[in-house]
Amino acid sequence: MDHAHRPGPWISAAAWAVAIYLLVPITIVIPVSLTDQRFLSLPQEALSLRHYATVLGSPEWLNSIWQSFLIAVASTAIAVVAGTLCAIGCWRLSRKSTELIRALMLLPIIIPSIVYAIGLYRYFANLDLLDRFLGVALAHGVTGIPYVVITVSTALAAFDPRLEQAARGMGASLSQTLRWVILPRIAPGIVSGAIFAFIHSWDELVIVLFIASRDVFTLPRRIWDGINENLDPAMAAVAVLLVVFTLLLLLLDLALRKRRDA
Amino acid sequence: MSGTGHALALQGLTKCYGSFTAVADVSLRVERGEFLTLLGPSGSGKTTILMCIAGFVAPTAGAILLDGKDITPLPPERRDFGMVFQGYALFPHMTVAENVAFPLRVRKLSAADREAKVRAALDLVQLQGFAERLPRQLSGGQQQRVALARALVFDPALLLLDEPLSALDKKLRAELQEELKALHRRIGRTFVNVTHDQEEALSLSDRVAILNHGKLIQEGAPAHLYEQPRTRFVADFLGKSNFLQGEVRESVPGGFVIGAGATRIVQAVAENHRPAHGSRVLLSLRPEKITLMSEQDEADNIVEGRIAAWSYLGAGFGLNVETPDFGLLRVALPTWRAPIAPREGLAVRLGWSAAASVPVMEDAA
Repeated sequence: MDHAHRPGPWISAAAWAVAIYLLVPITIVIPVSLTDQRFLSLPQEALSLRHYATVLGSPEWLNSIWQSFLIAVASTAIAVVAGTLCAIGCWRLSRKSTELIRALMLLPIIIPSIVYAIGLYRYFANLDLLDRFLGVALAHGVTGIPYVVITVSTALAAFDPRLEQAARGMGASLSQTLRWVILPRIAPGIVSGAIFAFIHSWDELVIVLFIASRDVFTLPRRIWDGINENLDPAMAAVAVLLVVFTLLLLLLDLALRKRRDA
Repeated sequence: MSGTGHALALQGLTKCYGSFTAVADVSLRVERGEFLTLLGPSGSGKTTILMCIAGFVAPTAGAILLDGKDITPLPPERRDFGMVFQGYALFPHMTVAENVAFPLRVRKLSAADREAKVRAALDLVQLQGFAERLPRQLSGGQQQRVALARALVFDPALLLLDEPLSALDKKLRAELQEELKALHRRIGRTFVNVTHDQEEALSLSDRVAILNHGKLIQEGAPAHLYEQPRTRFVADFLGKSNFLQGEVRESVPGGFVIGAGATRIVQAVAENHRPAHGSRVLLSLRPEKITLMSEQDEADNIVEGRIAAWSYLGAGFGLNVETPDFGLLRVALPTWRAPIAPREGLAVRLGWSAAASVPVMEDAA
């Protein structure tokens, strides 16, 4: 790397500008969350943790956090099982039709979520799934599948198909091969997919706005309502918590990848 | 690791991929305890045949019989064959012991039985003390031995080897060839090996089957194939060969004479294989069967030429001798008995006996 080309001043400046553009909106909520005022603003006289105290002491906020967490866990489970099985199936069969299926699985991240949400609203009304935990978990689970399909397919692309042949040649059934050979090899891909599916559900708003109203009130939904109704700095505190949590998940993903590549 | 091997028979094995025929009507027997090698260039169908035997590829037509029983429809996991894959296909997330124990775990053996068998298998390939290592902590040769132990640990009916030595450097390859041969002698199992390396095929096998373009060209013991190649392809692929083309001019006792230009070549032949007078024949002549003659020396066949190029190969000289009627002839000369110091343009007399060369068929297109 000693003799690699160094970027010129213009390129450096542009790169920094993009980085700052990406980071500033996230970092701005940190001082706002520490404000000593009663409305959304920068701290005037002193830093204060009172809004964090409000959030962590409020049954509504805690309930929403808990609900979001449960929904994210349930939808991650759905996305991981369905996405992994789909990716393995497509990989094993590996025909033209499976390419199509894999592309189809990516639809939830290609189609605007508002279009998806309208469709779900129509169907869920008939199935009595509106404003239900199961409904939201299903919707988030299905829209989380693409993340798992992508990461697991990537892991499978690096999987040596001869390992599967070797296992079967030694008498292993399909399920033994899956449990003892394929899954352990692609576990890092599955974990990555799970983390992304979790984050997807954790901060999803548009679908929730359509298919949930009173009983299911996720964290993003409460932030949204809070911004519409009053400008309580508690939202900034929640936003910081949200960012920190997501950041931790991404760091976990990074650490797992590092360990796998080591 | 006791017991005798099993016999395998291929009957009219054919595999087509669309309009491409990878294996065309191959019939072959592998006797109990025999070491058979499928030898051919890449694309000859040898690996497809092995994959059919292993059960990973379903033949388009034909049958595979184990001890007379048709196993063609059985999936690979029900065939009980051990296999050493190209590149070994060791499970990277398992230790050596776990890799070798895998077929036993699949068969639900008790932990104690598993341990005893794994130890015996690792002893067999001289890898005691490596049980807890991961495959990536082993050298290529050691990985190859783990693959062998894993393929043999469950007393398979048959051991299949897919280019088992191709990933190793030359010296190690020779070493493992000897070990593999000794192992085969020791355990007396039936081995089917696939390779494109003719030296490996000659030194390891009891019998070699030569394939080209999906067809079985010739099979037999290594020495038989080398001495009596049936076609130009076999003579050319197994070792090196010169080819002499000419027209049958006359019959002599025990042989016939061909003419090419002004040169007459005497060729020995069995009485029932005499070619028709006037027909064109092709002779295969191994470079090491040609000797350099002095002016007084006599031989059945003498051809004069000039050295066009030569190289020093340690144990021998390789000469390319330009001749008026046969073009370039390759001559292999043992260094320590070489009667001349080779140099370009030197005139030489080449001689060989009527039995040194062998008539071969031109390859079918």
